[in-house]
Amino acid sequence: MPRVNVRLHGVFSDFAGGARSTTVDASTVGTAIDALAQRFPSLRERLRDEHGRLREHIGVFARGEEIQHAGGESQAVADGDTVHIVPAMSGGG
Amino acid sequence: MAKGVAILVGTRKGAYVFRATGARKRWKVEGPYFGAEPVYHVAFDPRDGSSLYAAVNSAFGGPRIEVSRDLGKTWKTAQNPAFDDPALTFKRTWHIEAGHASQPKVVWAGTEPAGLFRSDDRGMTWTHVPSLRAHATEHEWSPGAGGEGLHSIALDPTDPKRISIGISVAGVYDSADGGRTWTIANRGTRTVMPVPKEVQHHRCVHHLVAHPTVPGVRAQQNHVGTYWGANGGWREISAGLPSDFGFAMALHPGDAETAFVFPLAVPERLAPEPGAAVWRTRDAGKSWKRLAGGLPRGARLEVLREGMSTDRLDPAGVYFGSTTGDLWASADEGKSWSLVAEYLPQILSVGTATLA
Repeated sequence: MPRVNVRLHGVFSDFAGGARSTTVDASTVGTAIDALAQRFPSLRERLRDEHGRLREHIGVFARGEEIQHAGGESQAVADGDTVHIVPAMSGGG
Repeated sequence: MAKGVAILVGTRKGAYVFRATGARKRWKVEGPYFGAEPVYHVAFDPRDGSSLYAAVNSAFGGPRIEVSRDLGKTWKTAQNPAFDDPALTFKRTWHIEAGHASQPKVVWAGTEPAGLFRSDDRGMTWTHVPSLRAHATEHEWSPGAGGEGLHSIALDPTDPKRISIGISVAGVYDSADGGRTWTIANRGTRTVMPVPKEVQHHRCVHHLVAHPTVPGVRAQQNHVGTYWGANGGWREISAGLPSDFGFAMALHPGDAETAFVFPLAVPERLAPEPGAAVWRTRDAGKSWKRLAGGLPRGARLEVLREGMSTDRLDPAGVYFGSTTGDLWASADEGKSWSLVAEYLPQILSVGTATLA
């Protein structure tokens, strides 16, 4: 299983008690997110809704691309890749 | 004798707690809590005298409910309300209500999409009450300007099985069996748009309140009219008010015929000329008095549905917060007003905690 870095940005770091990064075993972006939520249970409902869907206003980047423009959560990740969890640049106020 | 009062303020950018002694003259501010996040409601639990429940509706990380056991000093995140139906996703909490005195662990929450949730552990976990959305009219509920929300929960003070809720746009629904079954309770209210006579839902209730100690006393501010509960239905009490439109409404804790409203002119949804005023009835809506002593002349403020509240002291304190971030208090039942705070973020809710 590839070892993947996950970096938490902005408020998502706060939700994880201040953690900025961690390393998980995952083969896809989706499994990396799930492993992250397992490590930081306080992140689980902040990342996904009650049906397991990724919440709005979250930018997830892997291999230099936002996943919604690539393979989505099923996008494969390789050993040493970094997945970034970023508050999306959306909305106002 | 009460030790004091706390005003619980939810804003577009966090929640604040303002505390004062029973004289209610000098206020000390605590917070903001959840500083970057919209807080639609902060509810006090009078049964333990120390719990607060906050409806934090953040865009980033989604909505959540926060629980404090020490009047706001520390907070713990609850497990989210969750719908089983994959077509429904919990988007925000509109209102949280401490349960009946005989059920000290029960707390209720109203959400968007319109759902009623029950907690049996003082707010830490939530269970959907599916019977409400199983009502035959559910497929005809529709969102108002603020979304399709269950924004009001009004409990009978003596019978824990009697629960009323308000949904925009659907109206008031009553349960007499603790939430197992529901009946439409809109008789006597007008509709915004013409509907067939037999349609008893599709009413635009804006805020529903029940008296904290006198059973059967309830009132509502509606999109079209202000109403007093009467004979299982509603009696319109808009006559004497400058507008039949508004959101905020609060009942007097000691006098079951006294209520306060903050009428808004349409279409601008601001206090009508000559400016901000609370209107009070002392006879269950038969007559109204404009109360503006100390309020800024010409200021056409706006107060939202959770934006006004009363405390439980004698004389009763009345409080309201404006979308311009001004928090006003009256320690003499509305006769005179003083500014508690200004330049807050947009105020979404004002609640109170009367501290023993």
